[in-house]
Amino acid sequence: MEKKLEHIFLTEFEQHQNIVHKICSLYTHDRASHHDLFQEVSIQLWKAFPKFRGDSKFSTWMYRVALNTAITQYRKNKKRTDTYDIENVLFKTQAYEAYDPNEEQQLSLMYAAIKELNDIDKALIFLYLEDKNYEEISMTLGISEVNARVKMNRIKKKLKKIIHP
Amino acid sequence: MKELDKFKEDWKSREGNYPKLDKDALYQLILKRSSSIVKWLFYISIAEFVFWTSISVLTHDNKTDQLIEQMHLSIFIKVLSVINYAVLIYFITLFYRNYKRVTFTASSKELIERILKVKRTVTQYVWFNLFILGISLLAGFFGLIHYGPESEKIFNMAAENGNSIGFWVLITVICLLFIGVILFFLWGFYRILYGILLKKLKNNHRELQRLEH
Repeated sequence: MEKKLEHIFLTEFEQHQNIVHKICSLYTHDRASHHDLFQEVSIQLWKAFPKFRGDSKFSTWMYRVALNTAITQYRKNKKRTDTYDIENVLFKTQAYEAYDPNEEQQLSLMYAAIKELNDIDKALIFLYLEDKNYEEISMTLGISEVNARVKMNRIKKKLKKIIHP
Repeated sequence: MKELDKFKEDWKSREGNYPKLDKDALYQLILKRSSSIVKWLFYISIAEFVFWTSISVLTHDNKTDQLIEQMHLSIFIKVLSVINYAVLIYFITLFYRNYKRVTFTASSKELIERILKVKRTVTQYVWFNLFILGISLLAGFFGLIHYGPESEKIFNMAAENGNSIGFWVLITVICLLFIGVILFFLWGFYRILYGILLKKLKNNHRELQRLEH
């Protein structure tokens, strides 16, 4: 990468790095793997940046590349099933509380429930939490807008079921 | 769904909780991958050095000394050992310097050059080791045939054989074959040991190069 391009990339990346951190926090369970995923996403962004033509915002592009990387890595490391194990959720809830003791019970339960979603559902929920509309969600994930809406409704139902068994 | 909306609010309020890396730190993070591979090259070279040294110390006793003395090789072995250790230490220093340099590299272009240098160092190291072993084995065979416990028998056999040149050619070919097989195994061992790391490094190098152009 040219020096100038390198500089542009690093400036943008520095500004938007929180996006990557947030994705890492959803897709990993501990600090070390958070760091590993952050590094992997950084490298993928770096590699993909010369092809970024600026036809979308940097952050939008970043969402796409980072989520794709997170999903790919997640699938690589995947050993768990896609079923929702309530006991497991409750166990993770406690972990989350330990992380931030002032959080309300419901928030931590929701966090644990979201972490238990499968990789694609997680990406959808993440974009929803980031205040993206369905058009942006569909563009980032490469699915149709209708599909995104349908999926979102299903995910909300799933979450409800986990939280109010 | 009100729980989710509540969570969304909380999610947004967490924005500031994540660590913030500056440009340099981010850049280092991207380049770090190579440095960890080069670090392993350094560690392995030390482990190997320790391994061979301890083998030679542990197997060293008066009997081997006597045998070497008998074969008129003690000076040769001493000189070879000194050269060997000096060069090995030189290589370890080189590996260490490579590691340090790759860790503190400022640009991807520089890193590309340094990765190439690391690869060259490893290749030289492997060839040097093979060379030393080859020389030692050659000297060993020579000593064994000329001065070893069985040498008288061998010379008698050569004399009885009639075709003594043919006999010696045969002996030489057998020795060379034997040495070749041993060197081949060591070479295979190195290919596996360093080959994996070098391949990773090569991939990394290719990626970096693609970014450069």
